[in-house]
Amino acid sequence: MSLSKHIRTTGPLGAAAPFLAACEGPQSALDPAGSAAALIARLWWPTLFVAILVTLLVLALLTVAVFRAHRRHAALPLNARQSRNLVIAGGIILPLAATIPFALSSFSIGRTINAPLPDDAMTVEVVGKQWWWEVHYLDEAGNRIATTANEIHIPAGEPVRFLLKSDNVIHSFWVPNLQGKTDMMPGRTNVTSVTADEPGVYRGQCAEYCGTQHALMAFLLVAEEPERFDAWLEGQRQPATMPETQAQARGHDEFFEAGCAGCHTIRGTSASGDLGPDLTHIASRRTLAGATVPNRIGHLGGWITDPQHVKPGSRMPPSELTPEELKTLLGYLESLE
Amino acid sequence: MTLEKPANPRDVTDSPEETAWLERTWHSPGGLLGWFTHVNQRMIGKRFIITAFIFFLLAGILGILIRLQLAGPEQQLLGPELYNQFFTMHGTVMMFFFAIPVMEGFAIYFVPLMIGTRDMAFPRLNAFGYYVYLIGGIVLFGSLLLSMAPNAGWFNYVPLSSKLYSPGYGVDIWTTMITFIEVSALTAAVELIVTTLRMRAPGMSLNRMPLFVWAALVMSFMIVFAMPAVIVSSTLLILDRLVETQFFIVEGGGEPLLWQHLFWYFGHPEVYIILVPALGMISTIIITFTRRPIYGYTALVLSVVAIGFVSFGLWVHHMFTTGLPQLGMSFFTAASATIAIPSGVQIFCWIASLWGAKIRFATPMLWVLGFFAIFVIGGLTGVMVASIPFDTQVHDTFFLVAHFHYVLIGGAVFPLIGATYYWWPKITGRMMSEAAGKWSFWLAFIGFNVTFFPMHQLGLEGMPRRIYTYVEEMGWGDLNLLATIGSLVLATGFGVTLINAIWSVFRGQRAEPNPWGAPTLEWAADSPPASYNFRHIPVVHSRWPLWDWERDRERAVVTGLRNDRREVVLTSILDAKPVGVQVLPAPTIWPFVSAVAASLGFIGIIFHPIFFAIAFFLVAFTLVAWFWPRRPWRND
Amino acid sequence: MKVVQGIDVSDMTRFNPDQRAPLWWGILGLIAIESAVVLTFCVSYLYLAAYAEAWPPSGESAPPMLWPSINLGLLMLSSLTMFLAGQAINRGNQRGLAIGVTASVLLASAVLVLRSLELMAYEFSWKDHAYGSIVWTISGFHYVHVTSIVFGSAVVAILAWRGYFTQQRQIGVVVDTNYWYFVCFAWIPFYLLLYWGPRVYGQ
Ligand code: HEA
Ligand code: HEA
Ligand code: HEC
Ligand code: CUA
Ligand SMILES: [Cu+2]
Repeated sequence: MSLSKHIRTTGPLGAAAPFLAACEGPQSALDPAGSAAALIARLWWPTLFVAILVTLLVLALLTVAVFRAHRRHAALPLNARQSRNLVIAGGIILPLAATIPFALSSFSIGRTINAPLPDDAMTVEVVGKQWWWEVHYLDEAGNRIATTANEIHIPAGEPVRFLLKSDNVIHSFWVPNLQGKTDMMPGRTNVTSVTADEPGVYRGQCAEYCGTQHALMAFLLVAEEPERFDAWLEGQRQPATMPETQAQARGHDEFFEAGCAGCHTIRGTSASGDLGPDLTHIASRRTLAGATVPNRIGHLGGWITDPQHVKPGSRMPPSELTPEELKTLLGYLESLE
Repeated sequence: MTLEKPANPRDVTDSPEETAWLERTWHSPGGLLGWFTHVNQRMIGKRFIITAFIFFLLAGILGILIRLQLAGPEQQLLGPELYNQFFTMHGTVMMFFFAIPVMEGFAIYFVPLMIGTRDMAFPRLNAFGYYVYLIGGIVLFGSLLLSMAPNAGWFNYVPLSSKLYSPGYGVDIWTTMITFIEVSALTAAVELIVTTLRMRAPGMSLNRMPLFVWAALVMSFMIVFAMPAVIVSSTLLILDRLVETQFFIVEGGGEPLLWQHLFWYFGHPEVYIILVPALGMISTIIITFTRRPIYGYTALVLSVVAIGFVSFGLWVHHMFTTGLPQLGMSFFTAASATIAIPSGVQIFCWIASLWGAKIRFATPMLWVLGFFAIFVIGGLTGVMVASIPFDTQVHDTFFLVAHFHYVLIGGAVFPLIGATYYWWPKITGRMMSEAAGKWSFWLAFIGFNVTFFPMHQLGLEGMPRRIYTYVEEMGWGDLNLLATIGSLVLATGFGVTLINAIWSVFRGQRAEPNPWGAPTLEWAADSPPASYNFRHIPVVHSRWPLWDWERDRERAVVTGLRNDRREVVLTSILDAKPVGVQVLPAPTIWPFVSAVAASLGFIGIIFHPIFFAIAFFLVAFTLVAWFWPRRPWRND
Repeated sequence: MKVVQGIDVSDMTRFNPDQRAPLWWGILGLIAIESAVVLTFCVSYLYLAAYAEAWPPSGESAPPMLWPSINLGLLMLSSLTMFLAGQAINRGNQRGLAIGVTASVLLASAVLVLRSLELMAYEFSWKDHAYGSIVWTISGFHYVHVTSIVFGSAVVAILAWRGYFTQQRQIGVVVDTNYWYFVCFAWIPFYLLLYWGPRVYGQ
């Protein structure tokens, strides 16, 4: 498995190094690539610094306190006034001095992050499923113009509005390198915005426990140059390519015979199931099943024959296919660019 | 206001015959059947403590299994189903069946001793509370063995925990067993409040009460006002699951967020319910091992009370990512930061008390010093996650797992183990080994930090909590391995204490009544205390009665209590002037029968609602039997 | 160490029929807990109402006012008879106590009968919508409480008729009375919320 090829890794992954050395990773809040994450990371470093100071201060005072009279005959206590001053300085002034600026800057960062987006910002609707992500692209009027799953493309450098929904349990939408998480609450629509400064592939993961396969409910967020993005979206709007070869046509039929169409939609065919991801352009996606395995033919075959092995508990049942049937089916799916 | 010494004291002499009477009156019957009739506070307290530690061991083993599964990427040890049951059970058992009951247990055992009385206000209710707890815990853990354990996490969010998404009995068992623990906690709380307010030794005015008693009092009040929220939420959930009400079902006009509000309105105070008694233990230990009065008694009391109050205004900080309005949530950031002040005041009062003292570095003191290092870090990360933007990054990640283990283990478990070493001679009459105690401490201290410190970084690197596996490319493997190794060291550390405890019961050095030279009343009783706790109820003139007695070589006591029935002195709330004598009830089987009846009903409703009615009347009848007056009337 | 007499309590009372008794505080604790439960139910009701599109949901109307109001009157009356019963035993009048408690039990039983009839006539069930769920749950909660005071006070009445309670030995009556008041008065917020609430804020 080599997902990392697709995911931006900015440096060697740290071993047991302390906080400072290894804050990069494929999914790190401290390796910001978007404005919101950057603001939060900027809040973090001074906070960490003050926290270290406070900890050292308390421990230093404690050490002095405890060892002062060690090996002496008599105790060397503070008098009442000194004690009072110590408590006031450490217990009241110190927390106030540390938390007031912290709270104020966190309010102001919160306001910046939650500032309303321009009305013409692009809008993506994401619906949390057990355990994958359904993604709809909306036009200005709010109509769904394209549907995909587990892979979200956005234009780099532009703020994008995300409408977050769920029709089942609570999930949470989170791309650490770009943005803090927002829950997807059944019965409500939460809104968040994401801006990716640079093109790149970022990993997002469900952050609210949502049942058996919460662990393997991830997705990729692909930020592209606006032109490339537009081309991609145009491609996604189209219905699926028709089978061109005999083998692909047989694969197409197999898709119905094997019962796949009961759960999956392939726009342009009569397959319109809605229990599983839209497969209209499955071949254009980088990963399968919530960014669990790369979308290679071997993994695809493995997934279709035994999804429960790849992702135990997943809502897709295994299929009994002869090697021949599987081959034609795969051939067809591979053609769905 | 306070009691003056009597002008012309008479000497008190005891005849062995009177003592024997007293012993007979307060005696707990032997035999297997007798065991179920015990009501004395020390029996019940001890059972709470032992049972809670057994749950700690079991839940701790689950914690270790969790760690083994996470030690490397794509491990195959536990599948998703088992993992989800394990962390749910680990969290639920640790919070509800270990941390709260163990604190209650220590309070039940020691509060009556520390305030100089012979039992609690409602001894039978006390026993009832214990059986309910025991039955609840056994059923809950039994469900794990039958692999139908709950698996929706310790805060059991709807709609995941609704019948649709969690079919089967797991969540029903969770909800029902939480009700059990509520009942048990509430009985203990009322019991502790009434005992503390009305049964203190004459002269122990409120401002002379030991700090642990204050802490237990605040804990009890918090239980009384926090638990009802979870009573209601779990009732609503069980109705949703069993009779198809629509409270949390969006399609029926229900509101999933209502669950979160109700749960955290209880859940946040709950973590301080666990912390506050631990703070009391720390003060107690510091006083004894510095051998001088603590600095800032009033400030310590006020800050514990303040923590109690403020903790009811913080619950929304667990819901920062749910999409509530920002402005409203900001209030909760501010409130959460405010709680740093009473916490800080405590820390610095203790530092002032320790300053330049001739400290005896016995094992209890070591655990307290370990507390400082760990709790301050955990508290500071708590203040960090109170920031809304920062929390959106670390909420539900291992950063948070690190935060709460720092405060729970550092803030509560370390002082608790220290207190166990401290009070062990009183409970068992034997000392635990000091050498083993120190080994245990260092292993646990190092193991703890190796386990949980790396989790901060894992969280910042984007590792969500409650995931049973992760792919190798995430780069989380090394730190997870380190954490797992640490957890084994930590478990070894706790294991040394477990062995130490068992060994000492048989081989430990016999303890004097007051082996540490402590100033509070529990040390005036024998080690272990006689069935009647004190031969005479003491009269108190300061916060440090035992030190007074040592100095004056004389002590005043209450006389005139009858020996042939269970009599205790009632005193006034503020200044503890005697106002009357209360006759307490003797051992009986009825609390046990009532608890069994209640359990039958509660477990029955999982299968059919009719059990509610059956249990209602069964319990009602057992209560009548329990309270039915028998001749000779108790107070004639 | 010398042990000297500090205080002698041999002459103090063993009866404590008032605030001195632990049981008096125990019942107060129970009432505090249950009041918090009552409050939480009310807050939950308001929360569900606040987020609902219509309250009661469209097509549904709030239950009729008449019977709940009569029940309110009956409950208040039963509190009065309970109060008089307490006064009677304060004067040592055992018969007065027995009659008062019995009257209260009968009044509250009447409430149970009326409530049962009323609930059976409700047009919606708890399964229909969150509104139905909370109305039924609150009703059920209070119904169970009335049942339990009827049961508990019936036992007190039996003991009273048998002459167990005296001017001094009356803590059992005192706590029973206090709890009785609580259950009756808890009806007031529920009554206002369930029956007046939708009418005042309405649709
Ligand atoms: C004993 C348990 C305990 C204690 C004491 C605390 C203490 C605190 N906790 Fe923690 N908390 C938990 C147990 C505890 N917590 C648990 C179990 C959860 C997670 C539940 C779950 O999701 O499963 C949690 C989660 C949690 C959250 C939710 C985060 C999220 O879900 O995303 C937040 C947010 O604000 C928070 C904040 C705090 C704060 C501000 C304190 C403060 O009380 C800390 C105060 C202490 C200090 C600050 C240190 C001492 C003071 C000084 C040395 C003076 C100097 C101080 C300064 C300069 C600031 N906690
Ligand atoms: C008081 C509370 C408490 C305590 C003491 C602990 C103790 C421990 N916890 Fe706890 N933990 C929680 C409360 C607590 N936890 C809660 C509330 C959650 C959230 C659950 C949820 O998400 O729903 C959680 C979640 C949690 C997770 C996150 C799981 C996830 O999100 O996927 C992890 C992972 O490492 C973990 C590990 C541990 C470990 C290793 C210990 C160790 O400290 C345990 C050590 C103790 C023992 C092992 C027992 C005593 C040992 C002996 C007597 C020696 C003999 C035994 C052996 C050698 C095995 N815990
Ligand atoms: C009962 C419903 C069901 C049937 C039948 C079904 N699937 Fe699926 N399928 C799903 C679900 C649900 C998922 C999402 C699983 C996950 O990620 O947890 C899925 C995921 C997939 C994916 C990965 C999509 C992505 O974007 O990650 C592919 C490819 C796929 N199915 C192909 C098939 C084929 C081919 C068949 C027929 C042989 C089939 N499915 C039959 C429900 C079904
Ligand atoms: Cu979806 Cu976790
Ligand atoms: Cu909290």
